[in-house]
Amino acid sequence: MSEPLALPRFRRRPRLRLGPAWRQPLAIAGATIAVAWFLIAIFAPLVAPYDPLAQSFTPTQAPSGAHLFGTDELGRDVLSRVIFGARITIPIALLLVGLAAAIGGLLGAVAGYLRGIADGLVMRIADLVFAFPPIILAMVVTAVLGRGLRNAALAIVVVAWPSYARVVRGLVLSVGDAEYVQSARLLGASARRALFRDVLPNIAGPVLVLMTLDLANATLLLSGLSFLGLGAQPPHPEWGSMVATGTQYFQFWWMGTFPGLAIFTAVLAFNFLGDSLRDVFDPQTAWRSEDTQD
Amino acid sequence: MKRLRSARLALIPVVAIAVAVAAQGATARSSAGGTLVIDRSFEIKTADPQRAFEPTASIVNRAVFDTLLTYKGADVAHPVPQLAESYTASKDAKTFTFKLKKNVHFADGTPLTSADVVFSFNRLINLKGNPSFLLADVSVAAKGKYGVVLKSKVPNTALPAILANTSLGIVNSKLVKAHGGTDAADADKTDKAEQWFNSGNSVGAGSGPYVLKQYSTTSQLVLQPNAKYWGPNKAKWSSVVVRNMISATQLINIQRGSHEVAIDLASDQAQGIRKNKKLKVSLTPSTWVFWLFANNNKDISQITPNKHFQNAVRYAIDYRSVVGVAGPGAIQAPGIIPNMFLGSLPQKMRINQNGAKAKWELAASAIGSGKITLEFPSDLTINGVPFASMAQKVQANLQSVGFNVELAGAPVGTWLQKYRDGKMAFGLSLWGPDYPDPADYLAFLPGKLVGTRAGWPAGSDPPLEKLGDQALVTTNAKARQKLYQQIQQKLNADGPFFPLIQPTQVFVATTDLKGAVFNPVYQIDVTQVSAK
Repeated sequence: MSEPLALPRFRRRPRLRLGPAWRQPLAIAGATIAVAWFLIAIFAPLVAPYDPLAQSFTPTQAPSGAHLFGTDELGRDVLSRVIFGARITIPIALLLVGLAAAIGGLLGAVAGYLRGIADGLVMRIADLVFAFPPIILAMVVTAVLGRGLRNAALAIVVVAWPSYARVVRGLVLSVGDAEYVQSARLLGASARRALFRDVLPNIAGPVLVLMTLDLANATLLLSGLSFLGLGAQPPHPEWGSMVATGTQYFQFWWMGTFPGLAIFTAVLAFNFLGDSLRDVFDPQTAWRSEDTQD
Repeated sequence: MKRLRSARLALIPVVAIAVAVAAQGATARSSAGGTLVIDRSFEIKTADPQRAFEPTASIVNRAVFDTLLTYKGADVAHPVPQLAESYTASKDAKTFTFKLKKNVHFADGTPLTSADVVFSFNRLINLKGNPSFLLADVSVAAKGKYGVVLKSKVPNTALPAILANTSLGIVNSKLVKAHGGTDAADADKTDKAEQWFNSGNSVGAGSGPYVLKQYSTTSQLVLQPNAKYWGPNKAKWSSVVVRNMISATQLINIQRGSHEVAIDLASDQAQGIRKNKKLKVSLTPSTWVFWLFANNNKDISQITPNKHFQNAVRYAIDYRSVVGVAGPGAIQAPGIIPNMFLGSLPQKMRINQNGAKAKWELAASAIGSGKITLEFPSDLTINGVPFASMAQKVQANLQSVGFNVELAGAPVGTWLQKYRDGKMAFGLSLWGPDYPDPADYLAFLPGKLVGTRAGWPAGSDPPLEKLGDQALVTTNAKARQKLYQQIQQKLNADGPFFPLIQPTQVFVATTDLKGAVFNPVYQIDVTQVSAK
């Protein structure tokens, strides 16, 4: 079937110029730290001085030239463990944020576009999930599925998707009512075309912002679950579980402090990055719709 | 909002510790001279004396319930009378006759008579709970209002030591019955008194100087004085608080506290506070023994009953490195009986690592790269040694000779249930003595309590079981020692247990306390502790 008319394009251009928002010190700091952690995660075997699982040194050595972050209670190099910890936390955080965004986004788009029963159903389920504190719900999910990293990640997806559903639904609702979409539809564009060509580019920005901020949430939640013993199982070098072990050895402060700092810097970087991204994308479209939901 | 919320929740552990530290200061100050604080890493499942079998429960139950015999201070070799006025033992060590004190009454005023003793002991037996084996093959009968006769089918030289255990605390039969308790043969199904025991409503259940005021398996246990206490050893504190604290927090608390005791510090934690003049730090050998077991039941695992597999485990462990995890003062457990008890093996008889032998045995077991899961209580720390660290060390040892080991930690309650049900294939476990006598360790033999948990039914090893039966009826100390050593050598040769270490018992009390000493049976007898 051929298109009846050439469609005029009212679509706004996505603004991706490196604007003043990126020149803020916080944005630079956030981006630098985040990139550093990504690089560390990718090149961990090259960067780490030792095998993170090798119990081959004198236990509980204070930080020194040979072991910059000291050694833990079993004689493993804490620096190497923190570096390899990035390989667990960062890819999983990325993966589960992607998953949550995909699932939540799709459901939100369907809800916003179809409205009616589908909207009510999806949003009530989302409300149900929102009603629980995230870590409690995640604990329930891991308790049901069993411990382990995979189940902890699944638990976080279960907890995280509704915020995307909400944002996307709100944007689809408001953008869908915009005149340029209406006129495109009047000119005979299909629903799918309207969604993907007219609506999607306009919601990509806010969703990307949310994803970046959620990366911080996911990192915290994942570490939290591991801290409670529900996530990564020993001997995997996961930051949260390393902090948990560190609390057993307060007198060896380096065991818990450095993985704690790793969590801190990663979360902070993702938050800075998310805030800067929000400034880059139009703040009005990004936040107005979510605010009206609450 | 969501972001904020999760950030706040992540802070909870930190805040909880901070609050605990702050609260500590507050309690000590607000009740000057009135509150004794004991920090303890909890493993309590119940405070019902006839069901309880965990050390934390014995701390409170020692103060709430009286026993026929007890121990004074740290001396666990000589039981002394508490409710008993005197007792006689028959020459064959099968019949024990007790005369009870006549002026004893419970915290509600009810006089304590032989009927209460009979009820308590029968309830212990018939609940078929964890401590029930203490009175296996023993029957109890009243002899008048203040006489009790215990008859054992076999000579039972450990009975006086057993009678000092808090599981044999005497409960108020009238009151317990009124709250659903029973000593009938089907008590395991019909007794409903546990909830009542585990609450502040159970005042009057015991005759000890304290009564239970508050019960929680996760936060704290609180005792208050028994207003109607019968004896001379009256309560010295208006409140005794046993708090659930990890050892790291205990270390901070004890340095800031007054009238305070810390039970679970690790030996390397203690090194830092030995010079503190406000604290009395004592290091005694711990009676705990940590060990691995491989389930002998083929229905539970195809791998663990394999004798070659078991031997491979035995010789793969680098015992020195495992002892290292427990810090200064810990020793390798040469056998399942700790070194301070009669019949323990000398250090020279311990198992030594033998990598070549372990590799040969592993190859002979033909399990190939079969994965084996080591289960351990992930939140349990005993004598400052976290089981998670211990498990990781063992895993590294086993992997170094070619085992494919995966770790599976579980909260201690979950872990304990699976282990006690005999459904665990390969586990890291521990044993603390119920009474300071080697007879307690006969539980490791086939068909006995621990043996059954490791899938080792009666009849699996007749010569070993015969040695066990013989040890039970032998009264001569020298002969006993020889028998128990033989039993352990046989266990070390081809049993499903692999003794690892005895950690260091660190006991720290503030110097403003009198009588605060570590007791291997009760941890601490709070009724003997007073302010200086």
